[in-house]
Amino acid sequence: MKTLSLKNLAKTYFDPYAGSHVNAVHDVSIDVEQGEFVSVVGPSGCGKTTILNMIAGFIPYTGGEILLDGKPVKGPGPERGVVFQSFALFPWKTVLDNVGFGPKMRGVPKAERDRIAREYLALAGLSHAAHRYPNELSGGMQQRVGVVRALANNPDVLLMDEPFASVDAQTRMTLQEELTRIWQERKPTVLFITHDVPEAVFLANRVVVLSKGRVLDQIEIDLPRPRVWDDLVKDDKFKQLSARVLQMVRAA
Amino acid sequence: MNVLLQFWSGYARMTRRWPALAAIIPFIPVVALWSAVAAAGIFPRAFFPGPVDVVNSFVTLTYKGILPDYLGDSVIRLFTGAAVGMALGIPLGVLIGTSRWAHRICWPILLFFQAIGDIAWLPILLIWFGFGLTTMTFVIVYTVLFPVVLNTVLGVESVPRDLARAARSLGASPARVLWEVTLPGALPNIITGLRNGLGYGWRALIAVEMIVGTSGIGFMMFDARRSGSTVEILLGMIILGLLWYIVDAWILAPLERATGQRWGLVTS
Ligand SMILES: Nc1ncnc2c1ncn2[C@@H]1O[C@H](COP(=O)(O)OP(=O)(O)O)[C@@H](O)[C@H]1O
Ligand SMILES: [Mg+2]
Repeated sequence: MKTLSLKNLAKTYFDPYAGSHVNAVHDVSIDVEQGEFVSVVGPSGCGKTTILNMIAGFIPYTGGEILLDGKPVKGPGPERGVVFQSFALFPWKTVLDNVGFGPKMRGVPKAERDRIAREYLALAGLSHAAHRYPNELSGGMQQRVGVVRALANNPDVLLMDEPFASVDAQTRMTLQEELTRIWQERKPTVLFITHDVPEAVFLANRVVVLSKGRVLDQIEIDLPRPRVWDDLVKDDKFKQLSARVLQMVRAA
Repeated sequence: MNVLLQFWSGYARMTRRWPALAAIIPFIPVVALWSAVAAAGIFPRAFFPGPVDVVNSFVTLTYKGILPDYLGDSVIRLFTGAAVGMALGIPLGVLIGTSRWAHRICWPILLFFQAIGDIAWLPILLIWFGFGLTTMTFVIVYTVLFPVVLNTVLGVESVPRDLARAARSLGASPARVLWEVTLPGALPNIITGLRNGLGYGWRALIAVEMIVGTSGIGFMMFDARRSGSTVEILLGMIILGLLWYIVDAWILAPLERATGQRWGLVTS
């Protein structure tokens, strides 16, 4: 079992200009089991991005530890895939080459990585866009590429930081449905960060509520799958869970 | 009014079809004015030759082989200097753009030396290296170097941080990030730097050739002054403008636009 576990994780930023310290994350312990989809939700400024950046290895942590499969993580690595709010696609590479980038870094030959990339593009319904450049795609399509680019590298855990925050509301719902569908097909381990409560509840097996750098509570989401918005907006249990999480977030 | 509009739309259509026309047509009145002034005989012919005289001199000098030789010398000097300037400038720019320490240390030094114009080096270069190729190459390299370095730094710093992070999370080593992300991301700026550098270098080269040259377009023009040949001086000036126009408008600018627009790095 490849478990991601955060143990008493803490981060203190130092601001060299103000000469002062900011405690962004105090004492966060979260376990994500293999194949689990965990959402972390909390108001803006509560330390979500900081936590994700530490797991991804983009910034060092100042307390506690991050273990993947029992081993501490240090620096960025391909076993932790990241999906960015800014998409972060390589503008000078075609969609196919963007998705094939991870395999390329592993030394997979061109023909084989094109095959892998095509397989994942098909998964996201993007086969027709393989030879286009990112700036020729809509925001929703770009983020589909961002998601499958991370998946095509077969990471142990997929880290997503508000990945759908910069697309329009309708597209966002479609992307959320597609993500649950892909998750059901492939069962990747996902840590999904968002400030959007319905989104967190819709996607996850478990929602972690964060407040001022601390875990406030964790709530199991035992809604049946497949999940589609048309059903869930009418579902009492979904409404109940969302209301509960929302209350906590607002009190946070 | 209607006639003007029709004329304008005809012009727009024509230049769309043959873009080269758009570059040539604006010069027709300039050359016509020049001819008229020359033909009016306000100034002595030897003092203010007309376009026909310049074309004649172009044909003669080309036929004698002097012009192609000199032009070749100038262009080779420029490109040698540009190649060395890029070979030094791009790595230096990448280093300064990626390392905060290199930036802190090199930036003030860079700005100091940039302030010393290329030609200001000539006196000391003449003492050190004498009248020759080394001096000329030094000046060209010096001129090309700064725009290339400064624009490369700008380009490297303009690559979004998330792109490098994405590459790292997909398994790229720092060295591969440099090759796969930093350099391609900075390329449009590097080409802008090269474009500026070649422009400054071309001008500096002519100045240096006038002072230390034994060949080249700059030398030809300065030599013509000694023999009082106004025609050759004018010919040299026109060649300078023409050659740069062709290189810049037909090669460098499209290249700059192609990389930037294709990748959506510049919004236009
Ligand atoms: N590089 C930094 N330097 C100093 N303080 C920071 C830095 N990044 C984030 N912070 C602070 O840490 C806290 C948490 O930020 P962040 O993790 O971005 O929150 P969230 O993603 O939940 O909105 C905020 O108070 C923010 O101002
Ligand atoms: Mg954030």
